[in-house]
Parts: sequence; C-alpha cells; structure tokens
Amino acid sequence: MSHIHLPDGVLPVWLWVSGYLGAILVGAILFRFVKEENLSRRLPLLGMMAAAMILGASVEIVPIAYHINLTVISGILLGPSLIFLATLVVNVILALFGHGGITVIGLNTLILSIEGIVGYFLFRFLWRVFKRLTPAIFIATFLALFSSTLAMIGVVSLGASHYEELIHQEGKGIFEFHLSKEKENVSGEAQEKSEVNLKRFIAIVLPLGFIGWVLEGVITVLIVRYIHRLRPDLLKLEREPA
Amino acid sequence: MIQLSYLDYLAVEGKSRLHRLSPKKKIIGMAVVLLFIVTMRNLPGFLLLYALLLAIFFLSRIPLKIFSLTFYPLIFAVLFIFISGFQIGFILLIFLKVLCGSTGVVLLLATTPYPSIFRILGKVLPSLFVTALFLTYRSIFILLNVLEETQSALYLRGGLQWRHPWRSLTNISNAFGHLIIKGIDASEKMYESMLIRGFKNKIHYRGE
Repeated sequence: MSHIHLPDGVLPVWLWVSGYLGAILVGAILFRFVKEENLSRRLPLLGMMAAAMILGASVEIVPIAYHINLTVISGILLGPSLIFLATLVVNVILALFGHGGITVIGLNTLILSIEGIVGYFLFRFLWRVFKRLTPAIFIATFLALFSSTLAMIGVVSLGASHYEELIHQEGKGIFEFHLSKEKENVSGEAQEKSEVNLKRFIAIVLPLGFIGWVLEGVITVLIVRYIHRLRPDLLKLEREPA
Repeated sequence: MIQLSYLDYLAVEGKSRLHRLSPKKKIIGMAVVLLFIVTMRNLPGFLLLYALLLAIFFLSRIPLKIFSLTFYPLIFAVLFIFISGFQIGFILLIFLKVLCGSTGVVLLLATTPYPSIFRILGKVLPSLFVTALFLTYRSIFILLNVLEETQSALYLRGGLQWRHPWRSLTNISNAFGHLIIKGIDASEKMYESMLIRGFKNKIHYRGE
C-alpha cells in the first residue's frame, strides 16, 4: 500500500522524471557515508535482504491489496544507506515483473526507502527509550509505514491536474467523444462528480493502509523477536537490558 | 514469486523467434511500448497496441498460465478508479495502460533471461547497482529453496491453520525470520566464495 502501484503513463512526466532525479540525488548523498570496503563486503547481504523483500512482496493479501514489505527489518539490518540501494533494486525487479510501472521506479524508491530509513532511526531511538523490543519495533514499523503512505498520497496528489486532463480530454477517442458531447449539459453536481476526487482516494487508502500497518507491525515484531532469540548480534543493539 | 523460476526457465528454454531475438532489440521494443504508454491518450490506439502485444504473446508460444500474470497489476489500478469519480473513459484508459505495460514486461521476461537484461543495463548504469541486481537475482533462488522447504515443514506439522490465526501468523513470521537468518548466513558464504574468485565490486556476465 505504501508505495505506488501505478501503471506507466498515469503520472505526469515532470513528476516521474523528478522522482528519478530525486532518487539519484538522495542515493549520491547517502553513498558518501559508506566506505567502499564496507560496501563490497555487504553487497551479498544487500542482495539477500532485497530478495527477502521481493519474496515478501509476492505474498499478496488480495482483499486489501496489501503485501508485506519487510522494509523496516531490512533497514534495521542494512542501515540507512544500503536500504536505499536495496529498495531501488527491489523496485526495478518488481517493475520487471509487472508490479508497478517502470517510469515510477524513482518515485517508488524514494517512498519505499522512507520506510527503511525512518524505521531504522525510529527503532534505534525507541530502543533507547523503551529498552524493550516489542514496542520499539511495532511503533517504528507503524510510523514508518504511515510516513511512506503519506508520501505516496502526496505524490498521487501532485498529479491531480494531469488526471483532470486525462479525464476531460476531448475528441481524442471514441469514448472521449461521448463525454465531450454530454459535457454541454452537465449540471454542477455532475461536473463535480467528473472531477478528480482525491478525498475518496485517501478515504479508501488510509483505512486499508491502517490494517496493513498493524499487520506489518505485528509480523515485523514477530520476525525481530525470532532473530533476537537466535542471532541477537545481527540487530546490533546497544546496552541491552539484563 | 514462484513463477519467477518458471519465467526464467521459459526465457532460457524457449525456442520461438522472439526468444532468439537479441535482448538489446527486445529492450528497445519495450522502451517503444513504454513511450506509447506515456504519450498516447486515445483508447483505439491503446486497443490496437494491446491487440498487437497479445498477438506477439501467443505467437511466442508462451504458456497461458503465464498470461494471468499480466492481470496482476489491475488489483492496484482499481484503487485509482476512485480518483476519477468513476469516469468510464478514464477507467478504460488506465486499465489499458496497465495491461499494455504488464503484457510488454511479461513478454520481455518470458523470452529474455534476467541476466541478459542486467548485462544490457550494465552498459548504461553504475556497476555497483548492476552487481546488486545480479546478487539479488541469485539470492531470490537461494531463498526460494529455503522458503519452499520451510513452507512444506509448516504444512506437514500443521503450522498453518485458519482455525488458529495467531499461531499461523507467528509461524509465518518465524518462517520469514528463519529465511532472513539463513539468507544472511548464505550471503556470508557467498561473499567468501566471491572473494576467492577475485570479486572487486563488479560481476562480469558473459551470457553463456
């Protein structure tokens, strides 16, 4: 839910081009903080976590169009710089699988990496506050997904004028011809109905998203607790309570 | 995602004319389809493009069970309908854009092995990124094996039951935790074997 499963050609060109430019810029900034040796050593891990995210994305909960992302747990294990590259790789492979458009890869990377990066920092902060794994992970995951969903809604809203243009195009096809003929007699109410309705979109996305955030929060808590039982070193937790 | 290995098998073993066409030409073809999707706005044009893609799909002798994959992105396009205020022209336009895009992509993947696509991408994209793509691709198959084994073990021991949703959820999450731990162990071994083979931030694929 949190990243855009939009097809190609729906978002305006300036928006998805900006998405690519933004992704390049953010990637360049984040990679200044990674040492080359460290990067080389962690590339196989990045590949594994990206693969786990792809496998998670393949488990679709159809009624609410939601799939688990595993972005927060991947962010915690990879760190903020590598999770960005991992989300880029995930989005490229998912787009090649028909799961979202190719033109929206840049925007999807920015939105999905918000989950990983926000999740990483929130988890570190909340761990220091609570000193307990369950609340720290659940709140971090929930808020990270909430932020990325807000970012997704923001991106979709930015294209509103373009959707209006697509809806009201005239004389460019058989169906548009009927619409333009009827347009002369439309009442105010009908005109309003034919306009882009972002409120309705948000009213559907947020409740469905909420179910997804809670579900992913619970699953992430259970996964992290399992990892903590078997390989606590992977979580790199400081000052663990006795 | 299990279909990924089947897609890979089809791409490698397929013998149609499209399978034999060079990956570079197929990627250029996909780019042209994308250009149409982004710029075109009339329904007859999209119907024509979709019909053309369907014709290529069936001429390439790709199994019908793969065709269902092209409908998958429609699940998400349905959400987008609500933005339009249920305008039939807009909805059809969006659906056809989705179907043309997904059919084009599935057509490309079912006739071109992933590594060949990555190799072409490697000519224009940073090597670090392409290496990450290769490693992810390899890791998907490693993790798929682990996932299938774990899934079978869970089913055989009654770990997944609708009557016990919480227990099932815990077991699924533990399976993913197990998958991550196994994946991390495998990634450490993979790095060691790559170092022995002289890995320096780049994977060279010869396409054999």
